[in-house]
Amino acid sequence: MTAPLLDADARARLAALADALIPAGDGMPSASEAGVAGEWLDAVIAAEPGFGPALAAVLADADVADPAGELRRIESTDPGGWGVLTTVVAGAYFLNPAIAERIGYPGRRAIPVDADPSPDWLEDGLLDSVKSRGTIYRPTP
Amino acid sequence: MAPDPDVLIVGAGPSGAVAAKRLAEDGFRVTVLEQGDWPDYSKARPERADFDITATRDWTWDPNARKSKADYPIDDSESDITALMWNGVGGGTIVYAAQWQRNMPSDFRVRTLDGVADDWPLTYEHLEPYYVRVERDFGISGVANDTAFPPGEGPPLPAVPLGRAGKKVARAHNQLGWHWWPAPNAIATRKYGNLNPCVQRGVCLKACKDHAKGTVDLTHWPVAQRHGVELITKATVRELTLGPSGLVTGAIYVDDEGAERHITAGVTILCANGIGTPRLLFLSGGDRHPGGLGNSSGLVGKRLMMHPFGTVVGLFEDDLESWQGPWGQWLHSLEFYETDTSRGFVRGAKWGLQPTGAPLSMTTSYPWGAENPIWGEHFHRDFARRFGRSAMWGIIAEDLPEEANRVVLGEGTDRHGIPGAKIVYRMSENSTRLMHFHEARAAESLQAAGAYETVIAPQIRATGWHLLGTAVMGEDPATSVVDGFGRSHDVANLFIFDGSTWPTSAGMNPTATIAALALRNTEALIESRRLQAVAA
Repeated sequence: MTAPLLDADARARLAALADALIPAGDGMPSASEAGVAGEWLDAVIAAEPGFGPALAAVLADADVADPAGELRRIESTDPGGWGVLTTVVAGAYFLNPAIAERIGYPGRRAIPVDADPSPDWLEDGLLDSVKSRGTIYRPTP
Repeated sequence: MAPDPDVLIVGAGPSGAVAAKRLAEDGFRVTVLEQGDWPDYSKARPERADFDITATRDWTWDPNARKSKADYPIDDSESDITALMWNGVGGGTIVYAAQWQRNMPSDFRVRTLDGVADDWPLTYEHLEPYYVRVERDFGISGVANDTAFPPGEGPPLPAVPLGRAGKKVARAHNQLGWHWWPAPNAIATRKYGNLNPCVQRGVCLKACKDHAKGTVDLTHWPVAQRHGVELITKATVRELTLGPSGLVTGAIYVDDEGAERHITAGVTILCANGIGTPRLLFLSGGDRHPGGLGNSSGLVGKRLMMHPFGTVVGLFEDDLESWQGPWGQWLHSLEFYETDTSRGFVRGAKWGLQPTGAPLSMTTSYPWGAENPIWGEHFHRDFARRFGRSAMWGIIAEDLPEEANRVVLGEGTDRHGIPGAKIVYRMSENSTRLMHFHEARAAESLQAAGAYETVIAPQIRATGWHLLGTAVMGEDPATSVVDGFGRSHDVANLFIFDGSTWPTSAGMNPTATIAALALRNTEALIESRRLQAVAA
């Protein structure tokens, strides 16, 4: 699914701004290299269609000759737009499964709580230490 | 045609659920009007990679942002804190963190012990048996005999694990000589009634599709409905109605199609939260009560308390896998809860240790601070430092009641043209000092636990989860709205069972006490049934 409000020019502006937010480094790809202005932008907007027009509004006025300066301008003059831009860029970046794998994020797995009769709060006499210090509440006068 | 109910309840959150279930168990005919709908758990999909994007839309706490059909606008332009709520079956429990805290004995004797605000017309000892019972009903997990409370029966389920972060902090507090205890949570750790054991997805605040969280759509309403309670959803109350004798006769509500309906009942109980309840009182009463129904004291809407909320994050070298876990809290500390006037303020705060979330949460200005932007050259370095290697204390600060902090009717209206609410709230000097002290101690806690860096989160407005105090209870009708059992001083068959009635806010997550009070009040109503005035 493509986002009709965001044409190739808008995506190019998004890529420029996104790479200033998330540049390549430390062995990780930049935002645009990770598809933030392409496939994963589409995925974000498919999840939350409201981001489409909101992002288009931010990008419509964006001058990307100086991406870092433009980001400072958006942050200071358009807090709502800044929130949309940063959420979409980071959201798209981390939606890329290759990125999730690189950062060691397996998603929210179902990890049953351990109903073990020896729970970790009983290890090493942890609670005995608290009990030994006595009660700390003021009783009802 | 069904007979009129004995009792009409407005609001299907925790207090309404506790009251409806208990009344129905004793054979009362109960009808409940709820402006929202049942939670749609098909929208709670934490196993999907895009959940952090959709959850912000589908499970947001802010009614002004959500703008669902059940919400009314709340003008917060004159408030330091934004009011948060869930308008639907389950109320706030649907999106609460499930941090289940009893109040401490001193919370009921603030005037006597600390010389400020007011005592409650009941004590911890009055409420203790009801805490025990609601903890069974909600499926609470924890460990009995916490040293911050009088000894007694604890919750029915074992506590959630401390986890890697919790063990670090527990050891540190033992070295510091500071209190901690395995956290009490409304999170099942074993199969318990309709609840499943928690699987630690870390999304308690965005609805629990695993049905491990003690939410009253699971723990109470199915039981209440089996006992015959009629729960009408998408029913927005416009006003309570009065009979010639001055008793409440029921309510006019607007259904989903916009049709006005009148329901009559012998007794009416408001369970619409600390903003919804005064709003309804202001909308009711007509010429006979020009200042709002039940407001001869002039205190309806006043004394709004919302708990300023602080957060302190610690960054650790170790992998803590801190996007998973109950959230909820791993453990809590009440070391600095009691008043010590040498600190420059009265009262205190409770701390709960929590995860920090999924990747997207590492990029936001809360809790990381606008002065610590992650963007640009050091993005990957800073992300790696935060993600999975951080934990945070959430600090619930007690705010004292002040009449200037209040709820009034707003200029905006809901979809039926019914006025919304406006809140006026300023954080006091006492609250500010209290918060700064607690943030500094919480940072010391995390440093002792091994954090190489701590971040005190900025104060943000969107933290008003706890809406308290706006229909205060007390013995004197001149200085309170309801008595110690929630009965209006002015209208003998009108009751308020939600958090509106709290004389002081305590520094605790309030649902445990809201539920225990609702149970106590309900049983007092049942006990006095033969003496109770009812509308004809």
